[in-house]
Amino acid sequence: MHRLGGVGLAAFDRQQLSQRSFAELSSELSQAQVDLLHAQLDQFRTALVRFASTHRDSIRRDPNFRHAFQQMCAKIGVDPLAGPRKGGWWAEILNLGDWQYELGVQIVDVCVSTRERNGGLIEMGELVRLVSKLRGVAGGVIAEDDVIRSIKTLKPLGAGYEVIDVGSGKKMVRSVPMQLDEDQAVVLAIANQEGGRVSEQLLVSRKAWMPERAKAALENMLLRDGLCWLDDQDEVNGVAYWVPSAMHWDE
Amino acid sequence: MSLSPHTTPSGNLLLGFLLPSIHAAPPFFTQQPNPATQAIVTEQWSRLILSYARHRQLFTVRVEDAEVTGGEWDEILRNDRINRRLRSSHLAYILEQMAAKNQLVYDPPKQSRSALLYWRTPEEWAEVLHEWASTTGQLNTILTFYEIIEPPVPSPLSGIPMQILRKAIHILTKTNRAQIIAVADGEGVRFLPGNAGK
Repeated sequence: MHRLGGVGLAAFDRQQLSQRSFAELSSELSQAQVDLLHAQLDQFRTALVRFASTHRDSIRRDPNFRHAFQQMCAKIGVDPLAGPRKGGWWAEILNLGDWQYELGVQIVDVCVSTRERNGGLIEMGELVRLVSKLRGVAGGVIAEDDVIRSIKTLKPLGAGYEVIDVGSGKKMVRSVPMQLDEDQAVVLAIANQEGGRVSEQLLVSRKAWMPERAKAALENMLLRDGLCWLDDQDEVNGVAYWVPSAMHWDE
Repeated sequence: MSLSPHTTPSGNLLLGFLLPSIHAAPPFFTQQPNPATQAIVTEQWSRLILSYARHRQLFTVRVEDAEVTGGEWDEILRNDRINRRLRSSHLAYILEQMAAKNQLVYDPPKQSRSALLYWRTPEEWAEVLHEWASTTGQLNTILTFYEIIEPPVPSPLSGIPMQILRKAIHILTKTNRAQIIAVADGEGVRFLPGNAGK
């Protein structure tokens, strides 16, 4: 039987030797790969930094561009908010960290100042509009995306700010720590479609709920959470419930 | 449906009154079972009642104003555009809250159906009164209450209720800026120069 090392005692030494050289070669190879990877990563980082800094103005100014950049980062697994420094990449490369925090503060401002009217639940479009008004900028400069990202930065504060999807593309921001159950989410979605008005009958006919279930959900929102207002002069159903955060206020 | 501010035609006045957009919200006219929500509603109604009273120089509000049509409070106590009206029980509750905050006094006292609105406090009225007397050159002159309430030249004090006028004059007498004097057909007042700080 042919053996690479042949037979005899010397074969042991020879085999050990070759094994050692194989191991050396292999670690050399993987070192080379790691180096290459590092170099590539450095290159990539430099490229991203260069891209970000050359387009800094566009990123800061244009919400569409900002969104695209954000998406690109997400695709390649870079979280612009994460990073060695507080504020992450945005702060480091784009000086956007402060901008983001500032936006966060303004979001809190709007949420708190409208809380008594809407019970701590505000429609996303309305929030964006009020924040834009507060900053004195034209509509479109601040996008929904920015607000969502800023709310993420608020998370460590534990204030309970959260973005809720109420269906059909509508989002709402909740600024009080409370649990919204599924039924309430349904009520909010309908209120959003109806310009703020919901009634027991509407829930029964639209969602095929039992009247008791509709009543319970609405009464909870009314009495426990203060999320809606009662209207006892409703022409259609006699009693209706209005969700202020889903009403369209012009002021 | 969009809720927007609305300007009232407001009768004989040149400028209409700008109703806040909440006045176009149907539930604003219902007394809320949630106390926190009702506190907002009460606050908004109090502000609205006082600013409207100031705008139209109204001094009296009655619970009945919410029951009958054609009164001077119709423009705010009802909104025909959305077919809502403030119920009299709700108005009575709001007036009670306003009385607790010294935004009005029940007049006559010991009932709660009719009240005098303090869109200026008696202290503020005292200043307005003294200012009026001095700018119109009536310091050291004896004036009857009637001459103040119905002056030949309309003044900021035209139509001021006697009770508020009395309170304002009383405040001025405490700082020696007015003296109450008995005149032939009742009472009169003499305003004296002086500073508010005295």
